[in-house]
Amino acid sequence: MGSHRSGGATLFALSARQVTKRFPGVLANDRVDFDLLPGEVHTLLGENGAGKSTLASVLCGLYKPDEGAVLRNGTQVRLTSPRHGLQNGIAMVHQHFRLVDRFSVAENVVLGHRKLPFLLRANDLEDQVGQVAERFGLPLDPRAVVGELSAGQRQRVEIVKALYHGAEILLLDEPTALLAPPEVEKLFETVRAMTQAGKSVVFVSHKLGEVVDISDRVTVMRDGRVTGSVARGEADTRKLAELMVGRDIDLSPRRSRGEARETLLSLSNVGLTKDGVDRISQVSFAVRAGEIVGVAGVSGNGQRELAEIVAGLIAPTSGEVSINGERVNGVGTRNVRKAGLAYVPEDRLGTGLAPSLSIVDNLVLTRDRGFLVDRKSAHLEAEAFIKQLEIKTPSALTATRKLSGGNSQKVLLAREIFTAGSNSRVLVVCSPTRGLDVGAVEAVHKLLDEARNAGKAILLISEDLDEVLTLADKILVLYRGSVVHEATGDQVDVEAVGLAMAGLS
Amino acid sequence: MIIGNLRIELEPRLSTPKWLYAAVPVLSLLFAFVVGGVFLALTGHSPIGTFSLLIERGYASTKGITNTLGSATPLICTGLAAAFAFRMNLFNIGEEGQMYLGMIGSAWAGIVLAGHLPSFAAVPMVLLFGALSGALWVLLPAVLRAKLGTSEIVSSLLLNYVALNLVNYFIFGSRGMFRDPTTSFPQGRLIEESARLGSFGTTRTYPTVLIAVALAIGLYWFMKRSNYGYETSVFADSPNTARYAGMSSTKLTLSVLLFSGALAGLAGSMYVVGPAGKVDPGLLQIGLGYAGIVVAALARYNFVAVILTAILFAGLREGGASLQISSNPVPISIAVVLQGSVLLFALGGEVFRRNRLRIRRIQQVGVVS
Amino acid sequence: MNSNVWILTFADAISIATTLILATLGAILTERSGVINLGVEGILLMGAVTAFLVSDGTGNLWLALFLSVLVGVAMSAVHATLTITLRANQIVAGLALVIFGNGLSQFIGKPVEGKTRPVTIEPLKLGPLSDIPVLGPILFGHDMFTYLTWAGALLCSLYLNRTRPGLVLRATGDAPATVDAQGVSVAMIRFVHTILGGALMGLAGGWFMLARGTAWSQAATTNGIGWIALSLVVFAAWRPLRAIAGAVLFGFTLQVPFTLQGQQINILPPEIVQMLPYVATLFVLVMLSTPRARRLLGAPKMLGQPFVRDER
Repeated sequence: MGSHRSGGATLFALSARQVTKRFPGVLANDRVDFDLLPGEVHTLLGENGAGKSTLASVLCGLYKPDEGAVLRNGTQVRLTSPRHGLQNGIAMVHQHFRLVDRFSVAENVVLGHRKLPFLLRANDLEDQVGQVAERFGLPLDPRAVVGELSAGQRQRVEIVKALYHGAEILLLDEPTALLAPPEVEKLFETVRAMTQAGKSVVFVSHKLGEVVDISDRVTVMRDGRVTGSVARGEADTRKLAELMVGRDIDLSPRRSRGEARETLLSLSNVGLTKDGVDRISQVSFAVRAGEIVGVAGVSGNGQRELAEIVAGLIAPTSGEVSINGERVNGVGTRNVRKAGLAYVPEDRLGTGLAPSLSIVDNLVLTRDRGFLVDRKSAHLEAEAFIKQLEIKTPSALTATRKLSGGNSQKVLLAREIFTAGSNSRVLVVCSPTRGLDVGAVEAVHKLLDEARNAGKAILLISEDLDEVLTLADKILVLYRGSVVHEATGDQVDVEAVGLAMAGLS
Repeated sequence: MIIGNLRIELEPRLSTPKWLYAAVPVLSLLFAFVVGGVFLALTGHSPIGTFSLLIERGYASTKGITNTLGSATPLICTGLAAAFAFRMNLFNIGEEGQMYLGMIGSAWAGIVLAGHLPSFAAVPMVLLFGALSGALWVLLPAVLRAKLGTSEIVSSLLLNYVALNLVNYFIFGSRGMFRDPTTSFPQGRLIEESARLGSFGTTRTYPTVLIAVALAIGLYWFMKRSNYGYETSVFADSPNTARYAGMSSTKLTLSVLLFSGALAGLAGSMYVVGPAGKVDPGLLQIGLGYAGIVVAALARYNFVAVILTAILFAGLREGGASLQISSNPVPISIAVVLQGSVLLFALGGEVFRRNRLRIRRIQQVGVVS
Repeated sequence: MNSNVWILTFADAISIATTLILATLGAILTERSGVINLGVEGILLMGAVTAFLVSDGTGNLWLALFLSVLVGVAMSAVHATLTITLRANQIVAGLALVIFGNGLSQFIGKPVEGKTRPVTIEPLKLGPLSDIPVLGPILFGHDMFTYLTWAGALLCSLYLNRTRPGLVLRATGDAPATVDAQGVSVAMIRFVHTILGGALMGLAGGWFMLARGTAWSQAATTNGIGWIALSLVVFAAWRPLRAIAGAVLFGFTLQVPFTLQGQQINILPPEIVQMLPYVATLFVLVMLSTPRARRLLGAPKMLGQPFVRDER
């Protein structure tokens, strides 16, 4: 790397030169070089925590690099803010959309535009926005209220917004995370329309499979460094995976050893109707001791409701949930727990754990407490977990919000797997590795695997299809609140699962 | 913020040095005296003279300190009431009205029920009725908040004005049971003698001060150790976590607000069993309910610290009151100005306790090619 | 009972509404930016006492009102600094402002307590319009500030819904992170609108003193109007034009006790009648608490939440 010089034969639309960015305790980018051609689709590939989002944030002006430079069309630019980036034609679409739910599409798109007249005329704005959307083949109603749009549509609003503000270079952060496969295909069409118009697109992704096809070039990052940059056709998936992880990764699935035994959790014809809409309909399945049943699906298809029904937080409007043969619908969380359930919610800090309370106090949360709280035994327990699970924390009295994602997840899992009472044999786990780095993901998967082998019945609900494929003995696909596909672990047809997730089966 | 080539930033502290916990309130108090001093000087009073007189008559004399302890007694209760609710992010700001109701409720019990009871039974009963009446006055805001999620802030406050008019009605507007029948001058009817407590010697400190202090310490212990205290701290930190663990937000919200109202009501009844002995519009003039909020905020909602801040504030008031009697009288409201300023400074100072101020030179971004 | 009395009551209600509208507009602008300023009552009191003292000293009405506005600006700037720059709890900071305003207005107003108002804001003479029976006194017997306030509500509404800064303001209350990502300073927008709101609240206090108050009396001058204005914000669903209707309604409840007393109508004791505005406000708050009503109202989503940019 470093062979490209500004002023040479090729003029790069955007480059990073020896960019270094530090955060307290982390070297997020270590002398990174990156080059983007005009009209190119370029993927920044790397695991969570590899530094790719940081680099993208430096490129768009959100972060200032500690060392190194950003070059636009061969000239150094010192970007002071995302707005400044935009003035240089660089825009980033974040994974979490930054839209005003209550505004119309048009209002969202024009918000913050410099050349907007003081007095706004809704019709004019809507026409303008409609035109931009049409030019790039993005179907959007400028009058629609953003709060009522799907994730894919919102993403389109973000893209139209960037284009409206004059972006020449679009950085898309994990753009496929919230999309079903057909929506991903639509996104790719849009990307092609943009590159044909001479714009450049950077994909920031950790999903190697889906981005390789569309990319002209892939730059791989690991631990804050660039480990390689390859043009289309130069490398296969295996090679990229190696660059990404730096070693051979064990992609082989973990399945239950031994025979599955008695049914511990069963749902029959469970339905939930809220505000006249069916959120969950006719869901039936069983989870037996010593197996993991995985629920796959695009987020927002009833996963959260399903988990909360099983956990006793909401009562189903029809059907029956039973744990250990005991009917538990509508009996409330505490009683469901008594019947033998443990629950790891998706939102670990803020639902599973109280962020400002200590590890000790969080371990007390799901216990029977009596009149006075016994913190002594909880303290001993906390120290044992910290040692056994290698939880990195100053002490057992540290507030959980001060822990890293992986460490707080370990606290939560430890509580739910080991201390929720000896009779607790059913475990519901939602997106347990979301946002964790590779090491933490492995640790969490190992914990779940061990829990299965210890004879627990585990319901794993996750939007990360790879995770479900790796861990589950049985896979269900949830689409609009219904189970639309079912397969046993070793006979999974990944394509069929993908289609089912998109509601096309 | 950037000034010249200096970047000024607030950075969260990882650990807070112990001295800062004391420094913030002390400095806030000093700054408040400066603000008060400016207004004193502007109105033709000597700030130093006024303040040294205030301190002497508020704290540094036997009469001053016993008077201060006496008026701190109900203030500790309203302070506890505010602290109890605010800790849970429930902003009951109706302590003033709840305290008036406490006064009415305990006077009713003291007039109607206390007649044939010995003192050891009558006094607690009167106090209990005051607490119940205070809780009753917060019932509507509490139910609205717990059941419908309506903000308790404005609703609890509006009831203060209703309560104020209610007291006026009982004393000035009607010839009902709270009014002294023996005189045409509008004043409250005294409660039974058995329901009253005498003060210590010739001071104006009443035994109720011991109850207030014991209550503060008891609450501190209870909320730290009990399951109820634990549940409220989970709920205050993260309502979703509380729901996840099966705690009832309705029950917690209701109980916290009602108990807060009861503590404020107790302030009113301590006024009745102690110095007043009747429904007395004098209570309407002091603003003990509003001051309780300041006392609680300054104590950072710590129940034991409330004792100290309440004594501090009561001293300001007692000292302030004595300033009215002099050749160049200073309005007693200087005490309220000081209270408001202390709170404003403490709020600002809180930030410096949690964060450190960093001033750095902006470095040039080096270019490496 | 004289029908004229009720016409005058209506006219007075509309007049009192001026203060409520001004204070409510101030609160709406503040809250739309995501800041809640509970200090309205304190600012009203300070605005009122300032107007009284200045006009008492100088006899100059305009100077008096101008300084009331400045006092509102200063107090809301304190609130803005505490809550936006220093990220203090908005609710407690607002309460501190009330307590501070209470004490200070009492302190500096002590020498003139009970003294009658030195200057008066006179009603406009609108010629034949004022002579129209019934409607004349109700609609056309007010001073210029009443009419300016109505125009102000209209302007506020246009500002919020039809202008570029209005769009940004609405976005700031709902999704500050979005505004920040656009390179617009959330803190700046919140500062500006909190202070603008405070200016309107200061004016509300000053006008009330010089147009409606007869004598300065700390305990009786504003009498909780600031809190009623805060409830009005909810009632008006954070929309300026709806604030006018609500303000007239609440103005009526504020005026009725005086009318009844003046007419010696003793259906209920005066102390009980005095409760009317507060009980009516409470009643309205209860009515607005149903989940359905709440959905329709649509408070700014990030109201009361300090904005911290999410960096790692």
